[in-house]
Parts: sequence; structure tokens; C-alpha cells
Amino acid sequence: MIDYVLSLILFIPLIGAALTLLFAKSRESARVVALTASAISFVLTIMIYLQFESGIAFLQFQFIDKIPWMSSMGISYYLGVDGVSMPLILLNAILCPLTIIYAWGENKLPNQFFALILVLQAGVFGVFMALDFFLFYIFWEITLIPLYFLISIWGGPNKDYAAIKFFIYTHVASLVMVLGIFALYFSTGVNTFEIPVLLQAFSDIASPEMRVGIFLALFFGFLVKMPTVPFHTWLPDAHVEAPTAGSVLLAGVLLKMGGYGLFRVLLPMIDGLGDYRPYIITLMAVLAVVSILYATFAALAQKDLKKMVAYSSVAHMGYVMLGAAAFNYMSVSGAMFQQFSHGLITAVLFMSVGVIQHSVHTRIIPDLGGLADRMPKLAFLMMCGFMASLGLPAMSGFIAEFMVLTGSYLTLPVYALLAMLGIVATAGYHLWALQRAMFGSYNEKLGEPHDLANFELVPMAILVLLIILFGVYPGSVMEMFEYASKIIPGVMI
Amino acid sequence: MTYMELASQFAPELILTIGALAIMMIGLFLATSQKKVLGYLAAIFLAVASLVIVCRGVYVIQMEGILADSLTIDPMSQFFKLTFLVVSLIVVIASIKEYDNHSNQDEYYTLILLGTIGMMVVASAIDIVTMFIGFELASLSTYALAGFNKKDPNSLEAAVKYFIIGALSSTLLLFGLSYIYGMSGGLTNIGELADFFSANPAVLQSPLGIIALMLIVAGFGFKMALVPFHMWAPDTYQGAPTVISALLAAGSKKMAFVAAFRIILIAMIAIKVDIAMVFMILAIITMTLGNVVALSQKSIKRMLAYSSVAQAGYISMVFVVMSPEALTAGILYVMSHAFMKTGAFIAVAALGYMLLKENSNAKDVDHLDNFAGLGKRSPFLAFSIMIFLFALAGIPLTAGFVSKFLLFLSVLEGGFLLLVVFAILNSALSLYYYARVVKYMYVLPPSSDEKLNIPGAYAVAIVLALIGVLAIGIYSEPFIIWAESAANVLGL
Repeated sequence: MIDYVLSLILFIPLIGAALTLLFAKSRESARVVALTASAISFVLTIMIYLQFESGIAFLQFQFIDKIPWMSSMGISYYLGVDGVSMPLILLNAILCPLTIIYAWGENKLPNQFFALILVLQAGVFGVFMALDFFLFYIFWEITLIPLYFLISIWGGPNKDYAAIKFFIYTHVASLVMVLGIFALYFSTGVNTFEIPVLLQAFSDIASPEMRVGIFLALFFGFLVKMPTVPFHTWLPDAHVEAPTAGSVLLAGVLLKMGGYGLFRVLLPMIDGLGDYRPYIITLMAVLAVVSILYATFAALAQKDLKKMVAYSSVAHMGYVMLGAAAFNYMSVSGAMFQQFSHGLITAVLFMSVGVIQHSVHTRIIPDLGGLADRMPKLAFLMMCGFMASLGLPAMSGFIAEFMVLTGSYLTLPVYALLAMLGIVATAGYHLWALQRAMFGSYNEKLGEPHDLANFELVPMAILVLLIILFGVYPGSVMEMFEYASKIIPGVMI
Repeated sequence: MTYMELASQFAPELILTIGALAIMMIGLFLATSQKKVLGYLAAIFLAVASLVIVCRGVYVIQMEGILADSLTIDPMSQFFKLTFLVVSLIVVIASIKEYDNHSNQDEYYTLILLGTIGMMVVASAIDIVTMFIGFELASLSTYALAGFNKKDPNSLEAAVKYFIIGALSSTLLLFGLSYIYGMSGGLTNIGELADFFSANPAVLQSPLGIIALMLIVAGFGFKMALVPFHMWAPDTYQGAPTVISALLAAGSKKMAFVAAFRIILIAMIAIKVDIAMVFMILAIITMTLGNVVALSQKSIKRMLAYSSVAQAGYISMVFVVMSPEALTAGILYVMSHAFMKTGAFIAVAALGYMLLKENSNAKDVDHLDNFAGLGKRSPFLAFSIMIFLFALAGIPLTAGFVSKFLLFLSVLEGGFLLLVVFAILNSALSLYYYARVVKYMYVLPPSSDEKLNIPGAYAVAIVLALIGVLAIGIYSEPFIIWAESAANVLGL
């Protein structure tokens, strides 16, 4: 095995970003360098993915890189993976190269564009790998910067507002999270920022109020990122204005950081909450159900196709929260799988919307119509994506949502039933939008659109294949999640 | 202690004194066109003095009682001396280009060196009289420097305001110190004062003691630009030559902090609770007002001035918490802020220089609009400004992040949740105006497509500051340990 393989996976995109920014003068060289860097990361990720072994005890990590950094504060450069993070790292490694291929035709400042995507990839890798809260927070914050620029340089007409809103909103949330990290650090008194140590020391904190306070501060940081209603308002704005590649990564991997925080940090703490545990579970369940229902109905009302997809993201992340709140083995592994699956599905959706915007210059649903006539390839792939998103069996989304709802029914039956109400509306807005935008008679005002270019077709087709593959055979990804959720302390098996 | 030992202990100060005198003398014999060499000379003296401190090692053994108990050499003094020296060095390097044809360069560099000596004396002083003299030396030099662009009314206004307010604050400080002197029965040594007031806490709690404390807090408050004593700072930083604004914000203001660390923390430990309350209110008001007002500024120098006010608010949380951890973080913050602010001001100065060179009638060169499209016109300058601003905002991998992280951590550890919440909200708020400049540089189109070539001297100065900001941000361990040993000196 290669030494420091996680660091390699993490830093190769960064090096690629520097090379792209400094040396790639033409669009051709920029995109080739960027694709190469993220492809190398992808190959390395596959290597460790194949060597990864599930089924080890709680908080045991593999491929550990640990270098002391600020020893006086107990801060180290500490990376490692386990069943919670490994599939998400895989997701990130798959999505970024595909996004780069999708954006192959980018004309505006291509070298900066691709460099920012690579920085974003590295930041997300870092979040999923970091086992030191200080490092975790650094990567968490670093991801804001490339996305801020992606929105504010390549974004739509209202980009300034969206970019700054995104930046400040999520920055405030991270600052609250950092408050929780501080409190965790000094109230455990272990003088280290290592996540495993702090998680184990959490239940030793004497004051139960302190434990709840820490939990809520961290929770706030994660739920804004996911995002959960009522803290979701930055997301539709950011999506509407962001360029397609930015949206794909925002919904595909950045939101997953919030869910990852939930699984990595918060679920292991739930057992240590003592008397407050039922209240916290209720809070999470209520937020989840409100997210699912509110975002689903909001999606139903959208005229802008992209905004509709953005709201569907909020709703789907609500299932992640619901599965986590139900806190049994089935719901939690379903929620983890929902993160993975939603990453793939939402990428197809945003790519489809991007293609429509690009070829007919509008994404307002009533202005579209009959696009399937002129863009059959797009129509096919987009339909696959939409079907996966509404939870059609044999697609990955079905398995995830099925497990979440079945699992939740065991521990939170009322909430599970309420969430199921959303499923009807989910099917409704997907099919309705598809019908109005893609089918029916062709709206001649739209001109003569081109169907998918090859560089758009390939990533979307790969994603659809993966969605079907994981829908039919969830295989090792699901296995890792199952093992990982079984060993969370206090989880109901 | 023999004179030789004394000379070797205070070698950096002596080197600068010799340098200041030499530059003044040599300047008399040089034509204006040749005076540029004086800048190089000043830079060399400052670099040698910094090297002496670095080579001597920063973990020096504490030496007290030098020169009749008036000065000390300890990690804290060395830490701040190095900060002041490096700031002055960066300022001098940038000035080489800024004033390469100015006829008064000899006075200029002499004043900078003298001001630096004053700051260094303050860093070493453990006697209130010596400290005050250091204060005055630094202040008088910088008053003159603030008005150095004597044909520019703004510069003169800045100097006059700075001088009047500076004189007022010195008076308040001296008045307060004289009460302390009287109440303690004639003590001037800070250590002895601390012993005296710990033994007789009632003295400071008497009405006279409270008045004395108020005067001292107000005196330092003016120097540190804490709200409500901050009014001079924006006008002065905006009007003064930009390189001098860097020296004021990063050097002379930080001098007030080291003095306050020593005096307020040690001598006032007797009435910890009352003074903590005062500083808590001051800190919250200062950071909030600084950030809120900075939001609407269109002049970048003025924005940096208000950001400086806000940062002083963060640092003054140290006086509230008064724990060794907080002091460590505060000291580290001072050094980080010195690098970030110097860098930011110097970068703004470089832009101003280039714009004036392009069009000598340009007005308001530090206006936000001039930053539009800077990413295309001068990628290096735009990138450095972005790093400095991100550091000021506390974005990871910069000095600003590490010091903010440690400071907020220590405040929370001290149990001041409300204070941390305010600081954190402020920190988020400040991101808006920093990010706005970044947006102007990278998102908006430039006003002209012509490239701006940054002069070498500015580039060197900016690179020095960049190294400082990134070194503290990434390789933080040695700086933390150093700040820790500096904080231990005060024995909280």
C-alpha cells in the first residue's frame, strides 16, 4: 500500500489546481490538467476503496495519516477513513471528474474555473477524511471560498446577492459549530482536538446541560449546511445563480458534508445526552418532517426548473435527517445511503437543467414544452434522473428512501407516516414538470436546440448507469454503511 | 552589570539609535536624487536589529532590574520588539519606492527608526516612567510622520488630529499614573506596584483609585482606539501617508497593547472583577461599532481603520478574561494583526502609487472602485490583498484564523459565553466587507485593461508580510509556544 495515500488523494487536486491556475494558459490545457488531477485522485480512491475492510469496532479508522501540528494545543494533521466516510469519498471522487467533463466547454476564464473546482474537491475530501476538529473546521471553511467565486464570477444575473448570502449564512453556521467544538474541547479537558477521543470523552462531561449545548451548537452548524427548513433559504438562491458545475457539486457533495457531520459527530453523541435524548430526537424528527413536506410543496410551486430541483434537494436531505433521528440500524444506514444516492441523482438533474438552460436559454417550466422532440438523448437521461429522484424501484433512491421510511416506522411511526405524505407530492412535481417541459407539443419559440454534446452525454450517462447499478445491487457501499451504522453506540439494531 | 553586558542586552536598540543618527548625518551630505540610499540603510539597520533578536533566541531567560529596575529582557519584550522591528522593516522597504524622490527622506527614516526605538522601550519597560518616555518617543515621531505629505491637506489634518488626541491621551495616562504613584507612596516599578496593590486592595477601590484607573483606561483606550476613544483613528489612518498608516495600525497601536498588558494586567490584578466588567463593555462596543461602520466604507483605508478598531475590540477581550491562555492568544493576535494590517495597508499603498503614476491627477486612489478588476490588472497584488483580507476575516490557513481560534477558545474557556457569541457574530459580519473587496477585485470588470506593474520594493514588502501571515497560519506551533512563554512572564 502506498504511504500517505489519503494525503495524496487530498493534495493531488490541490496541486492540479495550482498547475491549472498558473501554467494552463489555454482552455484545452486547463481542462486536461484538471481532469488528469481529479482522475488520479479517483484511481487512488478506487484503490483504497477496494482494500477497505468493513466491520471493525466503533471509531477505528484505516489508512491513517497522523502528523503532529500544533502540539501545545493538541492539534494534529490527522486523516483516516471508516465506513461512514469511505463511500462519500468515493462519491466525491466520482462526481468531480464527471463535473469537469461536463464543463468541458467552459469559455469564461477556464483555468480559474477548473482550478476552483479542484480546490472544492480537495476541501470536500478533507472534510470527509479529517479526524481532528481543527483540521475538519479548516476544510469545512475552505470549501466556502471556491464556491463563493464559482457563484460570483460564473453565476447568473443575481449572483452578487446569492454569493454573499451563501457565504455569510454558512459562515455564521460554521462559527456556531466552532463554538460547540470549543466547548467540547475544554469541557472534556482532554487537551486534544482529535475527533475520536473527544467523541469518547463526550459522555464523561459532568453537566448534562453542557452536553446538550455542545450537541445543539454542532447540530446547528450541520443543519444549515444540509440544509434543513427553516435554515434552507440560502440554498435555492445559490443554486439558481450558480453555474451548472457549481450546482452539481453544491448539491452533490457539499450538502453531504452536513449529513456527514450528523453521522460522524452527532449520532455517537446521542447516547450521552441522558434525559434530554427524547427531546433532541423529537427536534430532529420535527425538523426532518417539516423539511420534507415544506420543500416538497415548495418544489411543486416553482416555475424555475432549477429552483424546483434545489427544493427537491432540501426535501431529500430531509430523509437523511429523518433516518438519523429514527436512530435505528436500518434507518441510519438508509440515511447514509440516501446521501450517496442523492449525490448521484441530483447531479443528473442539475446537469439536465444546465443543458436546457444552455440550449434554449430559459428554464422557466411554462416557457418550455416538447423538448423531447428535439432533444431525445437529453429527454431519456433526464427522465431516468427524474424517475430516480421520485423514488422509482430499481434506482438507488428507492432503496435509500425505502430503508429510511421502514426504519423510521419502527421508532418514529408518526413522523414516518407524515413523511410518506410527501412522497405523493414528490412524484407529482417530478412528473408534472417533466410533462410540461419535455413532452407535449414543441414550443416553436424556443428555436432549434441542439441535443446533448458528447461531453455532456458521457457524464450523465455514467451517472444514470451508476444510479441503476446501485439501485439493483447496492453492494459494498451499502455493506459499509450497514457496518458503520451498526457500531454507533446506542443505535437500535 | 558592566556597560558591555548592557550594550549587548540592548544591542537592537543601540543599533537603531546609531542608525537613526547616522541617517540624519549622512542625509545632510546627499543630493535629493541620492537620498534613496538612506532607505536601504534604514532597512539594513532594522534587519540587523531583528536578526540580533532572532539569533539571541526568543526564549531568553528573564532578566530584571536593568538600569535601576526600569527595563527588562524577557520573552514578552523580545516578542513585541521583533513584531515592531519587522513592521518597521516592511514599512521602510515599501517607503523606498513611495518616497524615492522626496527631499526629506533623511528625516523620514530617522523618525521611523526613533519611533521604533520608542516602541521597543515600551516593550521592555517595567517602570511606569520609563514606559511613558518610550510612549512619547514613539508618539512624537509618528505625529510628524502622519503629516509627512505636507502639501496634502488630508495628511496635515490627520497629523493634527492625531497629535491633539495623542497629547490628550498622554495627559490622561500620565495623570492617572501620577495618582497611582502618589497612592502607593512613590512606587514606579510595575512589579512593586502589583505587590503593593495586592497587599492593599482597598487603596484602588477608593474613589481616588477609581478615578486613577479610569484615567489610565481612557489613556490606553485612546492609544488602542477602543470605542468611544477611537474617533481619531479613521481620520488619521485615512489621511496619513498609507505606509505610515501601516506603521500606526500595526506598530504604535500595538505598543499600547503591550503597555496595557503589563500595567493593567499586573498592577490592576487587585480589583479584577470591576475592571473586567468595564473592558467587557468596551470590547463588545468596540468590535461591534468597528465592524458595523466598516460595512459602509467606500475608502479602503478608512475601512481598514475601522476593521482595526474592531480587531482591537477582539484583543481587548484579553483584559476581560485575564487567563494565561487568553493572554497567549492575545499576544499571538497582536503579532498576527501586525502582519495582516501592515500587509493590507502596504498593498493599498502600492495600488495608490501605481494609479498615481498612471494618472498623476487621480483622486481618492484608495476608493473601492479602483479595486475593480484588479485581479486582471495585477494578479499578484490582488492575490496578496485577498490573503490579507481573508486573514483579517479569520479564514483558515492564515494567521488571523489561528489567533482568532485561540482567542475565542480561551474566552469561552474563561466562561464568557456572551462575549464569545458577540465576537463570533462580529467575525461573521466582518466577512461581508472583506469579501466585498475581493469581489471587486475578481468579479467586476477593470476600468482599464492596462496591466499595473508593481514596483520591486513594494513587492518585497508585501511578500514579507505574506510570509508572516502564512507562516503563523500554517506553521503555528513555534509562534504559539513563544506567545505562551511571553504570557507566562506576567505570571497570571
